Amino acid sequence: MLTGLGGGTVLAMSAAASSASAATLATTPTLAVAMTTSDPVLHLLRRATFGPTPALLAEVRAAGTTAWLDAQLAPLTKVPDTAMDAMMSRWPRLGWKTWEVRERLTQFGSWDVMYDLLEAHLARALFSRRQVFETTVDFWTNHLVVPVPSSEVWDSAHLFQRDVIRKHALGKYSDMLNAAARHPSMLKVLDNSDSHKKAPNENYGRELLELHTVGVGNYTEADVKQSALALTGLSVDSESGLYSYKPQRRFVGAVKVMGWTHANTSPEGGDAVATSYLNYLATHPATANRIATKLAIRYVSDAPPATLVSKLAQAYLANGTAIAPVLRVLFLSPEFAASIGQKVRTPYEDALASVRIMGLTPEPVPAPGQSELRSLLWLTGTFGQAPMGWPAPNGYPDVAAAWGGASGMVNRWNFHLGLTGNWSLKTMARPDLTTWVPSPLPTTYAALVDALAAKLLITLSTTQRDAICRFVDHAPTDALKAGAAAVTWRLPYLVALMLDSPNFATR
Amino acid sequence: MTTSFIPAAGTGVPECSCPQGQAAASMVSRRTLLAGAGALGALGAVVGVAGPSAATQLAFAADSYTGDTIVVLSLRGGFDGLSAVAPVGDPAYFAARPSIAIPASRAIKLDAMFGLHPALAPLKPIWDSGGLAAVHAVGQVNPTRSHFEAMATMENAAPGSTIRTGWLDRMIGLTGPVSTFGSTAVGAATTPPSMIGPSPELAVRSVDSFVLSGAGTATEEARWATAMNALYAGAAPALAAPAKAAMAAVSTMSGLKAAGYVPANGAVYPKGAVGDALRDLARLIKAGIGLRAATIDVGNWDMHTGLGASDSGWMFRQLTELGQALGAFNQDLGPKMADVTLVTLSEFGRRVAENASGGLDHGHGNVSLVMGRGVRGGRVYGRWPGLATANLVDGDLAGTTDYRTVLAEALEQRAKLSSTTVFPGLATGRLGMFAAKV
Repeated sequence: MLTGLGGGTVLAMSAAASSASAATLATTPTLAVAMTTSDPVLHLLRRATFGPTPALLAEVRAAGTTAWLDAQLAPLTKVPDTAMDAMMSRWPRLGWKTWEVRERLTQFGSWDVMYDLLEAHLARALFSRRQVFETTVDFWTNHLVVPVPSSEVWDSAHLFQRDVIRKHALGKYSDMLNAAARHPSMLKVLDNSDSHKKAPNENYGRELLELHTVGVGNYTEADVKQSALALTGLSVDSESGLYSYKPQRRFVGAVKVMGWTHANTSPEGGDAVATSYLNYLATHPATANRIATKLAIRYVSDAPPATLVSKLAQAYLANGTAIAPVLRVLFLSPEFAASIGQKVRTPYEDALASVRIMGLTPEPVPAPGQSELRSLLWLTGTFGQAPMGWPAPNGYPDVAAAWGGASGMVNRWNFHLGLTGNWSLKTMARPDLTTWVPSPLPTTYAALVDALAAKLLITLSTTQRDAICRFVDHAPTDALKAGAAAVTWRLPYLVALMLDSPNFATR
Repeated sequence: MTTSFIPAAGTGVPECSCPQGQAAASMVSRRTLLAGAGALGALGAVVGVAGPSAATQLAFAADSYTGDTIVVLSLRGGFDGLSAVAPVGDPAYFAARPSIAIPASRAIKLDAMFGLHPALAPLKPIWDSGGLAAVHAVGQVNPTRSHFEAMATMENAAPGSTIRTGWLDRMIGLTGPVSTFGSTAVGAATTPPSMIGPSPELAVRSVDSFVLSGAGTATEEARWATAMNALYAGAAPALAAPAKAAMAAVSTMSGLKAAGYVPANGAVYPKGAVGDALRDLARLIKAGIGLRAATIDVGNWDMHTGLGASDSGWMFRQLTELGQALGAFNQDLGPKMADVTLVTLSEFGRRVAENASGGLDHGHGNVSLVMGRGVRGGRVYGRWPGLATANLVDGDLAGTTDYRTVLAEALEQRAKLSSTTVFPGLATGRLGMFAAKV
């Protein structure tokens, strides 16, 4: 398990860059047309959710794309999610305040609540009906990065998720940025809790500029130092573990970062000065451009069209940094429509999409620490992408070029077979695979493979279909007989192979 | 209702209750094969039998590359070279770091100026035997204090040019036909920016986890390989390349796993990711499967707060693990270190003066450790700029040696390659720290 920079033990912090440098290296992986469906609804669902399912596809077709999207962008009022709400009662500790975590857990520093958080994060991604919201939660989790599990946030990470990320995921970024700057998790992870006017700690001041807002190239080293001064005083009370503004640590005197200046005349007034600074950054055109670019990379293409980025940045600024209107522009844009086949699933997205398409349902309430979601968490770690597991403050890379690891590929393929063969996540019930075989039985192997591909919501080229037939030792035109290996013991292998295909790996 | 798909007995597939079980059953035959012949030949035989990696086998059977395996240990997060190889002869060092300097009495004396952090004691015998050197103060041409920019420019290693490939990719491009394992990131699920470019690369999270569940026998492996190759034939390179590499590596890796591994010469790797990765790297090097460049990432060096004392704390723990792991690697490979050159790199060093949190903010100049029998070791190379305030650059140790100078000499002397296209525009001066490989 990865842990954070703040004291964990792990390897990594690879530079497989997420930001500017990666964008320049990214190529647009466009699949041959025959490998991807041109169905616009499926295209939307591959991008805007953690993976289409037949039920979801039917729901969107019935509701209409725009109506479904508009509801998804106002999830609290327009997308009832009662089953998920009920499931959340499995993790009552996620409602605990920091003092409760400290008082009620028998072991001080226990990782139990952080694991609750990660299990719930996976459960929501898999089973919530508010799928667009959950993808944006994942996006912001990967933008304002608080690595979990990490010992310094053992008592606050779940609250950071609830009160910073989830609360503002579709709301205003300026609100999220301000909330983050007052949250113990962020202040500890980036060390601002320890900063002092006498010897400012530059970590947060720098990453706020470089990663959270305007990005490299828009500020100087002098700005970084001023940024750190502008944030002095934003700290954490060590006894309660809560946010505490500490005037005794506050630098007083004029501060200037980029085009922002403030007289900053009193120790007591520093919190309000910080708000002025954070709002300046949140509404800066360079921040608009950067958030727009990252959203476009997430949802559209590894090398998104400049026309689209420009439109998104405009929407961001015109709506006072609100995110829902930006996403609406994005998903309804011609650039989005034209981007079919241009994204590749990251290992995490691949895992979630596999679980969803195989129709796995929540396990019965497990014994503590025995949950299948915990197993899934561990598995995603072996793919190199456990949620919140990236130890550095830049977040997981979001472009295909960064995920070309053969090792992770093999682990994903093994996971597919574990799912289809019922070796993995056993207590999460799923439809018996034999029910996927049409009745009456397709007459040929080609027809069988086509039927299974339809179940997986993928489209195969003829060459691919024929290769899959040969995988079970038959020509496409061979007659399929009841009891054949392909519809009995080889069936899980056959379906796993199809999940391993580039067609399924494409988002 | 769920069904467990267990292949029935007599179907030609070994009976098992899980994919791992199936894989395990097939290992017996591989082990038998390995026992019957010399190590290299046996491995070749396994690959040959397995079929799909025939190309791999051909490539390394006729390996045209006779240079060292170049290993880059990336210390990610900004390694504090002033703690690792401390300038205990410079009074300004103690003035700048009242609470975290390595006391001269605790440092392991290297020369009049420098002492090794006591946690790196396992490296001292290697230093004394001439198998380890240090270079102080290395830096980049256009320093940045951004982790991510600094890593990107360091691994691109072509500042001021429009080249977008990584330097190891350019190096591999010079070495002729390359096996699946020619450029390998060990201990990682992803490959680093230094390997970005047209030459193929491989990421191996661990040797023992690199097993394809459904392909427990050579026949099944061939079945999967054929199908996968057809499925990926028309796919975009971003998808096809790792799939191809994975299939090509699977049979070799399962052979290695089956053979098991006991480090040689009594070497004991420390628990943890660094030790695990170096152990796997030694294993891959000894297998003779054509590693020309390898990378290992070692994170957790971004010590803005609480760096700790010379005998406890964050830095002490990190360096203890690193020192033990490098010591074990050197011991495990033994004489084979004549064919290995290992260099540590970090995106930047840290600020000379400590901050209010007993930590260090981002800086510039740094140390590189260089290990291998081809190194003229036991010396600290480079020009020491000093830590007096007037000699600092914006509070940082100046970088007096372009880190690429070290890499270029390693390529020239140990990899027997020209460095001019790998490091375009690099000045011709060298430190003379390597013996020419024979």
